[in-house]
This record gives sequence, C-alpha cells and structure tokens, in this order.
Amino acid sequence: MSKSNIVSLTALDGTKIQFEEAKCNEKGAMKAVYFSPDKSYVVGFFRKEQDRNSRERLEKIIDTYAKQLFEKDGGENLKKLFCWPTHIVEWDHNGIHKLGVVAPTYRSNFFFSGGKYKGLEKEGKWFASSKLRNKMLEDDQKGTWLSYLQICIKIARAVKRMHAAGLAHSDLSYKNVLVDPLKGDACIIDIDGLVVPGKFPPDVVGTPDFIAPEVLETVSLPKEDPKKKVPSILTDRHALAVLIYMYLLYRHPLRGGMVCDPDDSAKDEELSMGSQALFIEHPVDKRNRPKIQNLDKFELPQGDVTKLPYTLCGPFLSVLFEKAFIDGLHDPSKRPSADDWEKALIKTVDLIQPCQNPQCREKYFVFDNTKKPKCPFCGTPYKGELPILNFYYRPRPTESFRYENYRLMVFSKQSLYKWHIDKNIHPNEKLSDADKKPVGDFHLHNGKWILINRAMEELYDVSDANNHKKIAIGTSVPLTEGRKILFGKDPSSRLCVVQIVSN
Amino acid sequence: MRRLPVYLMLDTSGSMYGEPIEAVKNGVSVLLSALKSDPYALETAYISVITFSSDVKQIVPLTEINSVNEPSLSAGGCTELGKALEVVSDCIDREVVKSSSEQKGDWKPMVFIMTDGEPTDNIKLGLDRFKKTKTGIVVACAAGTAANTDVLKEITENVVSLASTDSESIKAFFKWVSASISTGSQKIENSGQESSGMDDLPPPPDEINIVV
Repeated sequence: MSKSNIVSLTALDGTKIQFEEAKCNEKGAMKAVYFSPDKSYVVGFFRKEQDRNSRERLEKIIDTYAKQLFEKDGGENLKKLFCWPTHIVEWDHNGIHKLGVVAPTYRSNFFFSGGKYKGLEKEGKWFASSKLRNKMLEDDQKGTWLSYLQICIKIARAVKRMHAAGLAHSDLSYKNVLVDPLKGDACIIDIDGLVVPGKFPPDVVGTPDFIAPEVLETVSLPKEDPKKKVPSILTDRHALAVLIYMYLLYRHPLRGGMVCDPDDSAKDEELSMGSQALFIEHPVDKRNRPKIQNLDKFELPQGDVTKLPYTLCGPFLSVLFEKAFIDGLHDPSKRPSADDWEKALIKTVDLIQPCQNPQCREKYFVFDNTKKPKCPFCGTPYKGELPILNFYYRPRPTESFRYENYRLMVFSKQSLYKWHIDKNIHPNEKLSDADKKPVGDFHLHNGKWILINRAMEELYDVSDANNHKKIAIGTSVPLTEGRKILFGKDPSSRLCVVQIVSN
Repeated sequence: MRRLPVYLMLDTSGSMYGEPIEAVKNGVSVLLSALKSDPYALETAYISVITFSSDVKQIVPLTEINSVNEPSLSAGGCTELGKALEVVSDCIDREVVKSSSEQKGDWKPMVFIMTDGEPTDNIKLGLDRFKKTKTGIVVACAAGTAANTDVLKEITENVVSLASTDSESIKAFFKWVSASISTGSQKIENSGQESSGMDDLPPPPDEINIVV
C-alpha cells in the first residue's frame, strides 16, 4: 500500500480522519463510502449537496444527540446497538466540495461468513422473508427462533432509548437494521435521517412494508396541509411492530388475500397498506386472511396463519400484536411503545423451551401453557416432566406476595439470573456485569428436576410455612409440584411456586 | 406474493456486433449477478429476456431471478424493434398475472429496452400494440453514443443513456425503478396518470444520464 492514496482530513472537532482513496465502495445510493487504513471506521461522502438543515442535523447527531443517548445510564451497552456517526469531515476533491460522515465499521458478524452470500451485509430482509429462508439461505445461517427473540429485544431497546431522547428514526425497516441470527445480535444503521419533532422534519416517507397507514393515506396531501402525517415516534412504533412480527413469523402482518383494487396494483398497494390496511389475523374481520392457494410453495408453511398464528409467540407478545395491528393500526396513540415490546420480549424469553426434535427448523418455541405442550413449528409434543416457576412479588415490604403474571419455563442446564429473583433488577442495557452472572442452574438429575444454588446467599425452601429450610450455596432444592422457594429476604426478593407439567 | 415482472429487450442486430454486444452481455451478466445477491430482487423479481435482430425471440421466458441462466447472445441481422414491441406485448398478456377480486395480480411489468437505436422495420404497428399493453415503467437505454434517442422517445418518455454498464450502475438503476413501483408511483396513481414521467419518480442515482 503506497502512502500516496491515503487522504488525511481534519474533522470539524479537530480529530484526524484518514481513508484510502482508491478503495471506494460505490454501492450506496446516497453516499460513496471509503475505509480507513485500519478498517476501523468508514467515511461516507454524500453524493448530493447537503442543505444547511441536513448539515445542522448531522452536527447534532454526532454531538448533542449522541450525548443524550450514550452518556446516560447504560449508554456503553447501548453503543453496540447502533452504528452511530462520530465525526463530520469536508473534502475538496476534483473541484467538488464534499461533506462526509465518519462512522464505525460494522462488526464482522454482520457479514455472511460463508456460503453463497459470503461477504454480503446481513440486511434484515434476508431473514424476514419466508421465500428467502426456505429457498435461498443456507440452514447454517438462519439461527434459531430464540435468536430472533434476542434480535427483537435489541432492536426494541435501541428504539426505546431513541424515543426516550425525543428522537424518531423515521425510516425503521429491515434495510436499516443489520441482524445476526447466529449471535442474536442487531445494529441500527443509517442514522443520518433522524427526525426531531419540530426541529428536523423527515426526508423520506419510509420504506415500503414499514410505512404507517396514516402516512401512506395522506402522502399526496401538500406539505402545508395540517392533515398530512409524516414519520414520527408514533410511526416508528408501527414500523417496530412490523419488524418484530416479521422476524418472529416471517410474513408481513398486512399483506393478505384482500384485494382493494383489482384493476391497478399500485393503487391496491396504496390502499391495502394505507387507508384500508387490515391485520391478516384479525379475529373477526377475516377479509384479509392469506389465501393459501395463491401462495408460492416457498411461502409455506410460514404464510399459513391457521397453522402458525401469532399466538405462538406467547401471551405477552400476542397482546402487543393485537394492540399494534388491531387497536392501533389506524389509531397511532394506541400502538405499543418500544418499551412495552422490550419488556414483553424479555418475559417471552423466559417461556421458551428447546424443541425435543433435533430436526426442528426453529429449535425453540414458546411453551403454550396447555396440558399438552408441543412445538408449533414441527408439531413435536413435549415428552417428560416440565417444571414451571410461577413468580410472586411483594408490592410493598409489609404486604403479602402477589402473583405477577411472570413465569420461567425450566429446561436442562438453563440458568437462573438475578432478574428472575429480584423485581428491581431488569435485564436491559443498564444491567451491570456483576448482575449478568447466573445465580443458579437447573438440571434433570436422575429423572428429577433440581435447582442448584450457585450464588444466592439467602435461598429458602418455604413450602412448609412453619419450617423455612435454607438452601446453602453449592446445594440444591428439588423442583416438585407446589414447592415454594423464596429467593431472598429483601423487600424486592421474589417467591416462586413450582408447577409441574407432565406429558 | 406479487411478482415484479421485468422484461429485458435486447438489440442483437448486426450493428451490435463486436464491442456493443459484449457490453450488453456484460450488462445482462452483471445485472443478473447483482440481482441474485439482492434479497429484495430475489424475493420478487422475475426476468424475461427478448432479443431482436432479423428475428425476435423470447430467449428467457418470465423466470424467477434465482433460476435465470445467463442467456447466450450473438449479434447479426437487422433491428426489428417494431416486431419486438409486438412480441413483448404478447408475452406480457400471457405471463403476467392479472388482479381479480379474488387474487392480487403481479406488479405492472417493467420493460427495459437496450439498443443502439436504429430500427430497420416500421415500428408503428408494434408501437400501437405496445401502447395498449398495461406496463409499469418503461425505460429505454441507449447503449453507446451511436444510439438514436429520438426513436426511443416515441416508445417512452423515459430514455436514459448509460455511460457505463458496470454492475453498480445497473443495480443502482434497478433499485431505483423497483423503489419507484412500490412508493414513488403512488404520486402518479393519485394524479390519475398511468404513464410514469421521470419527474414523478425518486431521483435517479448519479450513474444514470437522463436524455431529455
């Protein structure tokens, strides 16, 4: 590498920025992208001249908004969820003055590491389409259903914090989110278009599939019309709900069998995603149910809502899908917030069971809480004993324990964490490294389920109200029907009652 | 799932012999390989290739992008562009799924015409037939500097020239047209105009020169 093709610029904040002029990735429509010599960051120069407003927005994004997001509690953990621009540079090149933004390089796990698509970015679209999953992608790239829950948690968390800082992404789609199903990882990219209500209006209406119905419905109104709806935090909520639905069910929640305009496909699209939009799984209004006979064989089984209804995602997510696509579809204020989604997704992870069929394509499923649990994806019934911990908490230190609609499905070698045993600890970006360590683990030992205490100072078997038995660290407690376990003496400590499902 | 039918009409006449036909081959090849690694195109795009010289042939029937093999192209003969417009109209009538009240049909087909632009037949009949066919965006690409853009302008108002037929230009071009069908075309639909003028579409990337 000769030194001559390395361009050195000074960013507006004085930082020295270098990139290799010869190695330009011309792919992007908006920007020409260059790598730094050590490949740790990229510099993207806008193809079109940026107006003052866009420039001011970029300055705010790299400074004020970055601080609002990352200099708060849990900010360090949050950084990994975004590819956030870090500097602005200006370059006079071939007589043209160019504005560029510097951003970290995507982590290597966001590129296909092998197979047909080796080297390509893991754009979310690859994993959200049944046809691409069933026909194009290699099996070893798809990950498990559990990894998609983890991906959704990360996306919801990132959006939650943006919204908490008063920022709307405005173009949330599987195009602007990289995902890695092998690690359950996600990262939001292309942040240049952030919308700040009242300050920086949106540049775009969004990406098809993710544009909120009210935006599409009013797209032809002039800018000044007060009835015109543009991207905002409320439309981000629609896009987030669509993303989560698509990553967990691999189909679009509004693309069903209903034909709104048989003469014109574009008009039909506009109506069925806009003013006439209807959830394909609406419990009463069934006009938009997908017609199986019209589906390509590679869209099945995921396209069949009778076989794989949204309720397979469990009780917490089902309620939110109903809010997002029934109550809130045309009433933006009723849409679940990103925070609602994050919480429901986290609670859903605790309902997960590994499928006992080694050939199962999804590997994990949400325990369906019936007497005969079975994997919804491959139909394999669960065989054996399945312990469930039903959690209780004390609203106030002096009050008695109450059921909190929170459960943990136990499987072998699964870990118990602090957020299970203490209601004040949440598994979000604010979680400290110390609180990330398991405090116990579950095993099927000689045909009996046990919980081994690894780090709980105060663990008690309180099945007998008159005789609380302490479970010392390194020892275990059997999990049998009706057993009551108290996880500590703090006011925030939880109690659980064991329930056994036998099949 | 709605398919996005894409008809490629390629001039393989004698005037294309040599460097031009190689450029078109290269264009098709990079177009196919770009689309085969684009998840959006892999999901919805279906491609057909029609060549026109003394004879007009649909050498690739409308086929899912992942299954399209690179067609073999050779140049020779005259430029029966008028006949080609008839053939593409027949293919569209036969292959594109129409909407009914029971089933969502395909997107309106996109038609790309690549030529060096001097038809040897009378295009009038074919042009009339083509104008009656329901199409989405029709883009005529003048390959090379010798192309007659006036004739192409009769077929469609969207005439462009590609200074380069590298994969990035063509992919950028394809993405632009594809995005136009899903979102940009709403504007056109709302104003009640079937045909799509360049001004109503999202701005094309720098790779594409618009011929006005």
